[in-house]
Amino acid sequence: MLKNKIAALAAATVSSIALAQIPAGYPADYAQTIAAANKEGKVVIYSALDTKAAQPLIKDFSALYPNVKVEYNDMNSTEIYNRFIAEQASGQGGADVVWSSAMDLQVKLVDDGHAMTYASPELKAMPSWAVYRNQAYGTTFEPAVFIYNKRLVTGNDIPQDHAAFAKILASESAKFKGKVTTYDVEKSGVGFMFVVQDAKYFPQMDELIKGFGATQYRVYSSTGNMLEKTSSGEHLLGYNVLGPYAFTRAKKDAGLGVVMPKDFVLVLSRVIFIGKGAKDPDAAKLWVDYILSQRGQKILANESQLFAIREDIPGEHTAGALKKLYGDALKPIPVSPEIVTYLDPKKRLEFLGHWKQMIQAGAGK
Amino acid sequence: MRASAAETLPRAFTILVTATAVLAPLSLILYQSLLNAPFFDARKAIGLDAYRFIFADPDFWQAFKNSGLIAGGMTLIAVPLGGLLAFVMERTDLSGRGWIEPLLLVPSFVSPMVLSFGYVVAAGPVGFYSVWSRELFGGAPWGIYSILAMTVIAGLTHVPNVYVYASAALKNLGSDVEEAARVAGASPFRVAFSVSLPLIMPSLLFSGVLVFFLGFELFGLPLVLGDPEGILVLSTYLFKLTNKLGTPSYHLMAAVAVCIVAVTFPLVLLQRQLLKGSRKYASIKGKSGRMRELPLGGWKWLAGGVIGAWIFVSVLVPLSGIALRAFVTNWGEGVRLAEVLTLDNFRSVWEEPTMMRGIWNTILIGVVGGLLTVACYTAIGFATHRRNDGWSRFVDYLVLVPRAVPGLLAGLAFLWVFLFFPPLRPLRSTLFSGWLAYSVVWLAYGMRLISSSLLQVSPELEEAARSAGAPRWRVSRDVTLPLIRYGLLGSWLLVFMIFEREYSTAVYLLAPGTEVIGAQLVSLWQGGAIDLVAALSLVNVVLVAVGLGIALRFGVRLRD
Repeated sequence: MLKNKIAALAAATVSSIALAQIPAGYPADYAQTIAAANKEGKVVIYSALDTKAAQPLIKDFSALYPNVKVEYNDMNSTEIYNRFIAEQASGQGGADVVWSSAMDLQVKLVDDGHAMTYASPELKAMPSWAVYRNQAYGTTFEPAVFIYNKRLVTGNDIPQDHAAFAKILASESAKFKGKVTTYDVEKSGVGFMFVVQDAKYFPQMDELIKGFGATQYRVYSSTGNMLEKTSSGEHLLGYNVLGPYAFTRAKKDAGLGVVMPKDFVLVLSRVIFIGKGAKDPDAAKLWVDYILSQRGQKILANESQLFAIREDIPGEHTAGALKKLYGDALKPIPVSPEIVTYLDPKKRLEFLGHWKQMIQAGAGK
Repeated sequence: MRASAAETLPRAFTILVTATAVLAPLSLILYQSLLNAPFFDARKAIGLDAYRFIFADPDFWQAFKNSGLIAGGMTLIAVPLGGLLAFVMERTDLSGRGWIEPLLLVPSFVSPMVLSFGYVVAAGPVGFYSVWSRELFGGAPWGIYSILAMTVIAGLTHVPNVYVYASAALKNLGSDVEEAARVAGASPFRVAFSVSLPLIMPSLLFSGVLVFFLGFELFGLPLVLGDPEGILVLSTYLFKLTNKLGTPSYHLMAAVAVCIVAVTFPLVLLQRQLLKGSRKYASIKGKSGRMRELPLGGWKWLAGGVIGAWIFVSVLVPLSGIALRAFVTNWGEGVRLAEVLTLDNFRSVWEEPTMMRGIWNTILIGVVGGLLTVACYTAIGFATHRRNDGWSRFVDYLVLVPRAVPGLLAGLAFLWVFLFFPPLRPLRSTLFSGWLAYSVVWLAYGMRLISSSLLQVSPELEEAARSAGAPRWRVSRDVTLPLIRYGLLGSWLLVFMIFEREYSTAVYLLAPGTEVIGAQLVSLWQGGAIDLVAALSLVNVVLVAVGLGIALRFGVRLRD
């Protein structure tokens, strides 16, 4: 009898502590999630966002849920995939949350049944294209941009849209020889995804690729190299560079210019999901909800230098601000089965074969 | 003399553990290469599709050719130069050797990716040496984006690997033979090439084979200097295969690794063939005279010039590139340095606790892990020492193979071993897993240093102890071990330095709190924060170089 009373009292205390923490607008039973997460005590995250950029999010999350320790593992998107599928196959779960910019690989993992279904209380604030089966969520709004060297490229040589980019390469191929850069579509999954989307919105894509061939373009698998070498003047123009990194760099670096293409801007969204069989499922829910919440998105936009996907928060680095400036030119890549089409090796090799052909045609071979 | 169980058991145990640690990941890779899907995928089937795919890919053959060229070329550069540097540093009276030595070792502990990037900033098309040279002389007659440049840079930056082997061997060499040659009128360089270096042939051959292996495994350098131009080598080809088909194709990657092993393995055979009759190299004998330094006389200008030129090209140029990058916001054509100077990059590094933790973790793994590793290697060394049976030969082949597997895949293989081999599972998320992976891939490296030290201990010393009735373990503990202490110290230093920059093998085993600097550099690089990469690398280089300098001056007495 007494035991029961004590248990009830303890439960009431726990839930009242938890109640105090429930974010505004969340259902009352969220208190149980928080209590369970506190019991789990930690959340293991595999993410492609480097630890330094993620630090503000981790700090704020820890302030909100001090009993949930964040174990943040930063890896590149391929490493995340490799590690995650091997851990799943061995039944030795590792990640509670997987958060990566390789949207296609993330959707594939969901399709292969590696994600837990969870309808976030933040769902209603999310655009529909960023929600996949209540399992995976787009979390950011990262435009693909052009970059150029501000000291050495001026006037009409700065491409303002895709057609202009193609035209500059075709008409000034001698001037830009060896000075144009983009992701290596064979090595970079993100780079590949971008050009596949480009082909949807830009009918003269082949002309652009030929321009790359004519100027003997230089390719990289990492964004860092492209920014660095464009800023230094070793390269002059960069195509399809991941926006957040370019804008962050341009803020500190007077040599680097960034252009949002006028005709259309591809938008990538980092996809997050909770791993099936996660050891800390409730803590994982807290993290996902936090990232999607207004509070998390504010930090994401203003301190982690990414772009927030939510439109209902203030600031420059948000989907709302971009929409005001660029409207329908923004073309988000949907979190949907469509983007895994080219993970089929046959289709992918065909696309790469065509790419190579156009490059060679442009180079005059 | 018949060996008792007490003597054979430790040996059998050592060999068994070594074989398991090496063969488990390797056989997994071999098996994977014969499948058409990940080995843990239910849809897999056995077949030769992977080999068919890569053999039909012109990129593979191109990469193969380039790797062969670079590995061969860099071996030809690194071995003679490394041997010569070791001779000058160990056997002559050149002044300033105390502070030259830490400099000599710099290229071996700086991440190759960062080092290559240093060349881009310093000597690339708009690098600041290139810009100055164009302003002063109207041209910059060099390029860093070619196979030739990569070979030269790889050769020069691998000189320390040869140097460490050769100098350890030279330390143990009595100076009587050199003095004899000198008295007969030979110049110091004649002494080097006709007497000293031939005497340490086993070490030079080992290091030659190793450098060649490393040439096939080279990744950071060709990624930075070759990739943008489309120059592929085997490891960057393997990297390309990871994403070329959309999802990582392990079977293709494994097939490439098997090909590399198949090509490099005959070298081990060759090396063994050349070293038959290694007894003639035994140089620590019962009566060894004191070692004396060879006076260089007028030759010191030439020796100093060679060392100076090497230090300039392989240490100062890339390091000044990194250092410059660390102190500016941006650089390049048309940038006035005075306008872009900043200390913000260092502030960011200090303010970021994980970065400093990364540096300390790395040093810890290098120092403590390195010591443990050397202990293990020594145990393996003793298991094969003075025994010319099949087991010794087996171990000899065993140790070299892991380094032929590119780090990208080796790391994955270790993750698989820790995931799918139940007894190891609990250890996966501890530092042990990363340490084991490091120790296995660098087995050849540290082991050879120890075994070439062992080779130089003349058998009569051990035989004397044996005849006095000492059991084998006492001979090892009281006679052999003290005699090779310099070799062991050198080995520790070497292991420390390679652990300092290694990460790819452990990338899948790292966890928060155990982050190492190599991994941080790569993820920062990926996100475009190259300014921080430079600052962090510079802090790391300075810390390690100071530590090295102190160790060489006071603690680790490499030169008696």
